Amino acid sequence: MYPFWEGLGIHSTLYLAVVSAFHVLVSHLTVAAAWFNLYLERRAVKERREELYAYLKRSALGLLVFAYVFGALAGVGIWQTTTSANPRGISTLIHNFVLFWGSEWYMFLIDVIGIIAYYYTFDRVSRQTHLRLAWILALGGTGTLSIIVGILSFKLTPGLWLETGNSLNGFFNPTFWPQVFLRFAFMFAITAAWSVFVAAGLPKGYFDRERIIRKASAFGLVGLIVGVLVWLVWYEPALPLRAKAILPSPAIPQPTFPMIYFGLLATFIGLLFALIAPGRQRQFMALGALAIMFLAIFGAERTREVLRKPDIIFGYMSSNQLLFNDLPARGIVSEERALAQTGMLGHLPFVPAPDAIASTSGDMTFGIGDPEVSMGRALAIQQCGSCHSVSDQTALTIAGVRLDLRSQAFLLKRRNLVTADQIDTYLKAIGGFPYMHPFVGSDAERRALARYLEAFLHHTYPETAELAKMQSQAR
Amino acid sequence: MTVGEMLKLMRDPLGAPFYPPALQVLLVVTWVLHIFFVTTALGTSALSIFAFTAKKGAGLWLQAGRLAARLTPNALGLGIVTGIAPLLFVQTIYDPLWYAANTLTGFWSALFIFVVMGGYSLAYVFYLKGSRDGRLLFTAILSLILLFLAGWVMHVLHAVSIRPEQWKQWYMPSGVIDTRGVTFHAYNIPRLVFLLPLQAVLSLAVVMMFASWYLRKRGDDTSFLHWLAALGRTMALVVSPLYGLTGLAWAVTEGPEFGATTLIAVPLVAIGIALTIYFLRLKQPAIRAPLSLGVWLLAVFGVAIVREAVRVASLARYGYTLADYPYHFDWGSILVFGVTTIVGVMVVLYLILVLYQANASQEGTVSLRVERLGKVATGMLGAWFGFFVLMGLYSTFVLR
Repeated sequence: MYPFWEGLGIHSTLYLAVVSAFHVLVSHLTVAAAWFNLYLERRAVKERREELYAYLKRSALGLLVFAYVFGALAGVGIWQTTTSANPRGISTLIHNFVLFWGSEWYMFLIDVIGIIAYYYTFDRVSRQTHLRLAWILALGGTGTLSIIVGILSFKLTPGLWLETGNSLNGFFNPTFWPQVFLRFAFMFAITAAWSVFVAAGLPKGYFDRERIIRKASAFGLVGLIVGVLVWLVWYEPALPLRAKAILPSPAIPQPTFPMIYFGLLATFIGLLFALIAPGRQRQFMALGALAIMFLAIFGAERTREVLRKPDIIFGYMSSNQLLFNDLPARGIVSEERALAQTGMLGHLPFVPAPDAIASTSGDMTFGIGDPEVSMGRALAIQQCGSCHSVSDQTALTIAGVRLDLRSQAFLLKRRNLVTADQIDTYLKAIGGFPYMHPFVGSDAERRALARYLEAFLHHTYPETAELAKMQSQAR
Repeated sequence: MTVGEMLKLMRDPLGAPFYPPALQVLLVVTWVLHIFFVTTALGTSALSIFAFTAKKGAGLWLQAGRLAARLTPNALGLGIVTGIAPLLFVQTIYDPLWYAANTLTGFWSALFIFVVMGGYSLAYVFYLKGSRDGRLLFTAILSLILLFLAGWVMHVLHAVSIRPEQWKQWYMPSGVIDTRGVTFHAYNIPRLVFLLPLQAVLSLAVVMMFASWYLRKRGDDTSFLHWLAALGRTMALVVSPLYGLTGLAWAVTEGPEFGATTLIAVPLVAIGIALTIYFLRLKQPAIRAPLSLGVWLLAVFGVAIVREAVRVASLARYGYTLADYPYHFDWGSILVFGVTTIVGVMVVLYLILVLYQANASQEGTVSLRVERLGKVATGMLGAWFGFFVLMGLYSTFVLR
C-alpha cells in the first residue's frame, strides 16, 4: 500500500529493534526510579534525614538530563523507525488508539515538566511541596506505562476487538494486565542498577551511601523475582496457542534465549552482590549491569515481537501489511482475498504493474536483464521485505565479514533450496509454517518471485549457483 | 489509478476515532507549541555560540551566553515532548501523506532521532561543562548543526508529503524500485528559512524579553536584564520585515505549484508587517514581555494555519478532502482522553506554577493557592487510576 523502505546497512526492523530496546530500558528506568525516589523522599521528610537529599538531587539530575529526555527521544525514534519500517502496522494502532496515545501524552507532559520542576525546586520549596512533586512523578510515570502497555499488547492479543472492533476491547486485552505487572516488576531491577550507579558516585564518607545501595538492590531483587513469577504464572499462560508454538521454533533466532537467561541471571547475581557488599560497588559495575540488561531487553522485546509472526497485528494484518481477515464490526474486508484473485502486480499503489517495471533493473537484479526477475524483485519487496533482507543493501559487512541478518538468501541456503523450481515449490507450501502466511498472488507471480530469490541467492552465495548447475546436470 | 484514488485507497480502513476537522484543529494548535520550543532551542543555541565567539564571552554577552546555553536543552526537551502531539494527529488524518513521505525518505526518517539525540546531548555537555567560560565550544556548534539537520529532515518529509503526484516517480525512477530512502526528494528553501532560522531569531528575541521580565522579579542584575530585553527587541525589529519578505518568497516559489500563492503571501506578509509595527512601537520590552510572547504565539498560530492551508490546497487538486475522511465516534477512547485531559491540564498547570513561583523570587515560595491546587491536582491524578481500573474492569467483564 505504501512505498517500502528496506533499510540501509541493516534491515529497517533492526533500526526499530535497537531504538525500542533503548527506549524500554530508559523509560522503565524513569518510572521505577520515580517510585524509589519517592520512597526515599518520604523517609527523608518523615525521619528528617537531610542527607538523603544529596542522593535525590544527583539522581534527579541524571534522570532529567539522561532518562526523561532520552526516553522521550527514543519514543519519538520508535515512531519514526516504525513508520518507515511498517507504516500500516503503526497506522492500525494509531487509528484505534490515537486518543489513548493522546492521554499518554498528557502523562508524558507531566513526567517531563515534572522532572524539571522536581530538580529545579530542590531547596526552593517546602519539603511537603517537593514530596508532592515526587508523588506526581511516580503517578505520571505509571500512567504512561499503563497506557502504552494497552497499545503494545494489543498487537499480540487483540482479544475481543477482532469481534467487536471496539478500541476498549483491544486496549484491555488478554495480556494487558499481566504485562503491566510484569513490566512494573522488572523495571525495579533496572532502577536498582541506576541507583547503584548514582549512589556509588557519592563521596566515600557519605553517610547513607551503602544503605541506599542495599535498599535499591533489595527493591531490584524483589522486582526481578516477582517479574519472573508473573511471566510464568500469568503472562505466558495468557499467550495465544500459536504464539506458544512459535516460542520454541526457529523463528526466534539464536542467541535470543541465552541472551535473556544470561541477562536475568547476571542481574540477579549483580543485585545480590550489591545487597551483600554495598561498600564494594563501583559505577562501572552498574553501567555494566545496565548494558547487560539492554541486551536482555533486546532479546525479550524481540521475542515478544516475533511471537506475533506472521502478523503485525495478530489475526488482522500480516507482517507484509495486508489485511488478511475481515472485521465485520467495522465494515472491513480482507485485502488478501481480493489480491489472491487479481494478482499483486499493478493492484496496489506501489506494487507496479508488469509494464511499469523496467525489464532490466541493473544491479538491483544482480545484472540479470530478465523482466521476470525484475517483476520478482517487486514482489519480493512487497511479500518478504517487511521481515527479511531481500537485497544487498541491508547486508551489513564489517571488516570483510558479511552479517546476513534476516537475509532471505541465507534462509534459502540453509534449507538447501538453490534453484527457482525448488524455491517455487517451497513458496507453494510456505503457508504451512506457523510463522508464515501463504504467498499472495498468481502462479506466474510466485514463479517470478522464485526467479528473483534464486538470483539473489546465487549472487550472495556463488557456490549455490554451482550447486544448482550440478543438480540440473544430474537431472 | 488516479492520484485521488490512490490517496483514498491508502487511507486506513479503520478511519478516525473522532470528527477529523477537530483533530485537524488539535494538529495545528499543538504544532504551534512544538515549533515555538524547537525554534527557541535553535535560537538560544545560536546566541550562546555567538556570545562566546564573536563577542568572546565578555561582559553582558557572557551572561547572555550562559543563560542561552542553559535554555537550549530545556527548550529542546519541551520541543520534543510537544512534538509528539502533532505527530499523533498528522498520522490520524493525513496517514497517506505522512507514511508515504516517511517511507520514501526512510533512511533519514530513521536517522532523525539519532541526529536529535546527538544535538541534545552536545547541548547539555556545553551547558554543564562549557557554558561558564566558553570551553568545549565545538560541542555547541556541532549541536546546532545537528539540530538544524533534524529540522531539515522534517522539512523534507513535509515537502515530500504534500506532493503525492510525484511519489511513484520518486519510488520507481525509470521503472526501478528504490528502497534505500536516502534521497531528499523535495524542499523549498524560502519556506525552510522562514520556518526555521527566522522563526528561531524571533522566538529567541521574545524569550530574551520574557527572561528579562521574569528574572527581574527575583532581583537579578537589572543592567543585564535591561540590555537583554533591548537586544531582544532590536533583533525582533530587524528580523520581522525579513520574515514578511521571506514569506513572500515562499509564496512565490511554492505557491504556484498548489495554486496557493495569494493564500500564502497575504497572511505571511501581513504577519511580517504587523510584527514590525508591534516591535517598533514596543517601548518597554521587559515590562511588556508577556504581551510580546502572546503576540508572537498568535503570529505562529497564523503561520500554522497557512501551513495547513497549503496542505489542504495541495490535496484539493486531487479531490481529496478531510471532510470525506471516514470516522466513527469511539466513545471509549473519547472518554479516556477527555478525563485525562482534565487531569493532565490541572497537574501540568500546577507544575508550571510551582516552577514559576519557586524561581521567581530569591526565597522561592509557593503561594497557598497553588499549594491547594497541588493537593487537588495530585488527588485527581490518583483518582485517575481508579477511573482507569474501572474502565478496564468494564471492558474486560461487561463490554462484549
